[in-house]
Amino acid sequence: MSAVPAPNDVVLGRRQLFMLPTRFGLLFAALLVVQLLAAINYGNGLAYALTFLLGSLAVVSMLYTHRNLIRLRLVAGISAPVFAGESAVFRINLMNDSDTPRFGVIVMHDKNAVARRDIMARSSAAIELPVPAGKRGYLKMPPITVTTHFPLGLLYSWSRRVELNQFCLVYPRPAEPTTRHTRALDSFEATQGLDAGGDDYIGTREFRPGDSPHHVDWKAAARGKGWSIKQFGGGYHCSVWLDWDTLEGLDVEPRLRVLTRWVLDAEHEGMLYGLRLPDKTVSPSNGEHHQQECLRALALFGLKP
Amino acid sequence: MNTVHDRSVLLSLLVAGVSAVAPHVPEMPPWIVAVFAAGAVWRYLIDTQRWHRPGRFVRVALMVLVIVGIFRQYGTLLGRDPGIALLITLLGLKFLELKTQRDAVVTLFVYYLVILGSFLYSQSLWLGCWALVAVTASTMALMHLMQPTGLTLFSRLRLSAVMLAKAVPLMIVVYLLFPRISGTLWGLPADAYSGLTGMSDIMQPGSIRSLSESSEIAFRATFEGAPPPLRELYWRGLVLTDTNGRGWSRAAASPAESISFTPLNDPVTYQVTLEPSNKPWMPALELPGMRPKGARYQPDFTLEHRDAIRERLNYTLTSYTHYRTGELAVAERAKTLRLPGNVSPRTRDLAEQWRRENSNPASVAWAALNYFNRENFVYTLNPPLLGDNPVDEFLFTTRRGFCEHYAAAFVTLMRAAGIPSRVVIGYLGGEVNTAGNYLIVRQSDAHAWAEIWSPERGWMRVDPTGAIAPERIELGFDAVRRLELQGVALGRLPTDAVLRALQLGWLEYVALHTRWYWDISHLAWYRWVADYGKERQEKFLMSLGIEKISWGRLFSLLLACVLLITLGYALVLWRTKKSSDFALALYRRFCRKLARAELVRAPHEGPLDFARRCVNRRPDLSQQVRIITDNYLRARYGATVQSDTLRALKREIRRFQA
Repeated sequence: MSAVPAPNDVVLGRRQLFMLPTRFGLLFAALLVVQLLAAINYGNGLAYALTFLLGSLAVVSMLYTHRNLIRLRLVAGISAPVFAGESAVFRINLMNDSDTPRFGVIVMHDKNAVARRDIMARSSAAIELPVPAGKRGYLKMPPITVTTHFPLGLLYSWSRRVELNQFCLVYPRPAEPTTRHTRALDSFEATQGLDAGGDDYIGTREFRPGDSPHHVDWKAAARGKGWSIKQFGGGYHCSVWLDWDTLEGLDVEPRLRVLTRWVLDAEHEGMLYGLRLPDKTVSPSNGEHHQQECLRALALFGLKP
Repeated sequence: MNTVHDRSVLLSLLVAGVSAVAPHVPEMPPWIVAVFAAGAVWRYLIDTQRWHRPGRFVRVALMVLVIVGIFRQYGTLLGRDPGIALLITLLGLKFLELKTQRDAVVTLFVYYLVILGSFLYSQSLWLGCWALVAVTASTMALMHLMQPTGLTLFSRLRLSAVMLAKAVPLMIVVYLLFPRISGTLWGLPADAYSGLTGMSDIMQPGSIRSLSESSEIAFRATFEGAPPPLRELYWRGLVLTDTNGRGWSRAAASPAESISFTPLNDPVTYQVTLEPSNKPWMPALELPGMRPKGARYQPDFTLEHRDAIRERLNYTLTSYTHYRTGELAVAERAKTLRLPGNVSPRTRDLAEQWRRENSNPASVAWAALNYFNRENFVYTLNPPLLGDNPVDEFLFTTRRGFCEHYAAAFVTLMRAAGIPSRVVIGYLGGEVNTAGNYLIVRQSDAHAWAEIWSPERGWMRVDPTGAIAPERIELGFDAVRRLELQGVALGRLPTDAVLRALQLGWLEYVALHTRWYWDISHLAWYRWVADYGKERQEKFLMSLGIEKISWGRLFSLLLACVLLITLGYALVLWRTKKSSDFALALYRRFCRKLARAELVRAPHEGPLDFARRCVNRRPDLSQQVRIITDNYLRARYGATVQSDTLRALKREIRRFQA
């Protein structure tokens, strides 16, 4: 699995779209029957004309309803990782490549309308689909359907369930800081040394995505020397190892949750920390990028890639 | 989204309601319209001025009041008038409780019914045009309700108008092909017909004169082929046999009489569109050779509809302008010789003298016409009033009269001379609408003439007016009126002088042609809308070469046409815009080729970024990727798209191998 989920876009084609009358459409049909009976009874030419005009209008509106969805392109966006127990937010871009606007495009998930958007010609609209993240690992975006009853509400068109190849990384839910795993925390503190972080400038390194903007060497960047990160140190007497083996006795999931908590706390306190798992080791470092790497390792522990 | 919360949606709804109800204003009792208007205004004030919204009790009480009011107004709740009144008032009350989307949709659908209801009162061209406005307003309101965001008023108007315009061809096909049945499903409610102009079945001195003041159209006639000359266009309406010396009236019909005649020339076929007159007479060229549907052929060669004509009537007829009728029955002879008691001796003497001098009825008639022509008789639109013995007074004293005076005097003289004769009233001539190639006959073209019976020819038409004012017969009533206005004496001038007097100025010419085209649109409207029933449909299908088609086949044909048109629309609506969409499609193909080489474009990645990444990873492809990306960007985002750019793009992408 690469860092960016495989891009995937789906274009709604004729075979993906269905259409049926809405309840208003059925009521409209009943109205037409009444009008037709009146026209026949009174032998009234204009009444016939009106009845057939409205019937034809319904037929034409069918085409417009269909056009409102056909060749709509659904493109998966990027979804930020979340912790288990939170809501994963999938972003979907509705791309309108055609020269006509599309109004009242409704995205449904599980028979609930998630969003309703008007998409102008040659533009796009983004929607967010929140899904509860239950388990750590990769959460696949659930299938969605796209519907519309534009323009007259007489007909209802919907797409087949669309599955986009989009995943959200779900980190293990962090354990509570005050649980029975204090012993492990103690050992963690013991190995950590006295000074938590320092503020001596010890040099620069290359900028990595995820680094805090506070540490960017702006002066150097302004001089055109490229982006670099000022590193502060002196406080790190030794690397802290967050070790799987120190939590002997716990089950796999609780262990991962405790380690997740430790990663968060260590990062929060500005320590240098490394992660040791049975199948993977992340060497000690610090910063958001490092934290994400550790959390990813925890999220994917033991899961088939 | 399930409530009518938006004030602009409410406004759309109210506007559509007003446009749907507007055509009913002249027909409905004012209080019905007032209830609707009050409901609309009240609701608007509730929403804008935070007026009190009436509770359920008030609403129910109002509804009961309205229903009772309608019952008192009409004596019933069923039928056309109370039904529509009920719809309109309940719409007004519905405004007060309008809350959910469903309420609003039901209201809008009732608008469509109310619009249809207005057609039951009139099917004029104007109403048809207005209904289109009202339907557009309701459709816009429905669109507004369903899609409150994104669309401006103008874009709603445009979309509604475009959709309706696309619906029109479909509507026309269904309209023309949907099988019509003759007669009605249920009985039509008896509705009042008033203010209709028509020819009375009693002729008094002055009665046709008063009709001649009306320029209302009596009927229109379209001939198959060239119409006969104006002087032969005697439209037979009624035959008046009985007289009391003053007025003339119809004789009681005796059904045993023969109605046959021998045609002497080729038939003339024509179609008549008769305006409602609230009378049963159906004018026909002399003499009609057939009986249209729903009509009776009277023994006096007139056509009478089974009911008074209260709606525009279309019928096709065949007539023979030259004919010979059969024998005269004894009873008929007695009736057509009967003289009133007040015939003066000098009238009798005059007739007696002609009978002595001439051997046959035709020459007696000729003598009478000569008399009119020779003596100082005047044809005038403003004849003096006549007393109790109008014929005598006219013949010997005033000598100024209109066609009815001449016809009545002539028939009286013929009867006095022992020749069976009778008065015929109807129309003479008409205005040829050269723009539409048909004839407009107005009430002012009403005319009276005479018929005498001779053993050789049977009933023979004699028009005494022709002896005094040949212009009336040759040029029509309108010419007579204009000559009279110019003070030109009738029957005295040579023809070219008369025609010169009738020359039109350019303004009159333009006015006349405008009127003609205006009339054509109305006639077309009547024939294709108001009168498109079973018969006309059969005729229309026949003109398409479809005869005796079953309903099933007709429906299949209809369905096929609808599908074809719809498919055409679908193709237009779903067509890909060649230039930019085509470029996009090509670019996607390019991306798929790259993806096979593990170069996957991220959704957020622009074409330039993607190209840079590709070149970094696969420097060997850099040349091609650059060319393709460049061409793509120009084709898709360039101000103008050259077709060779697209072609180059297509060629490059087809050749591209990652």
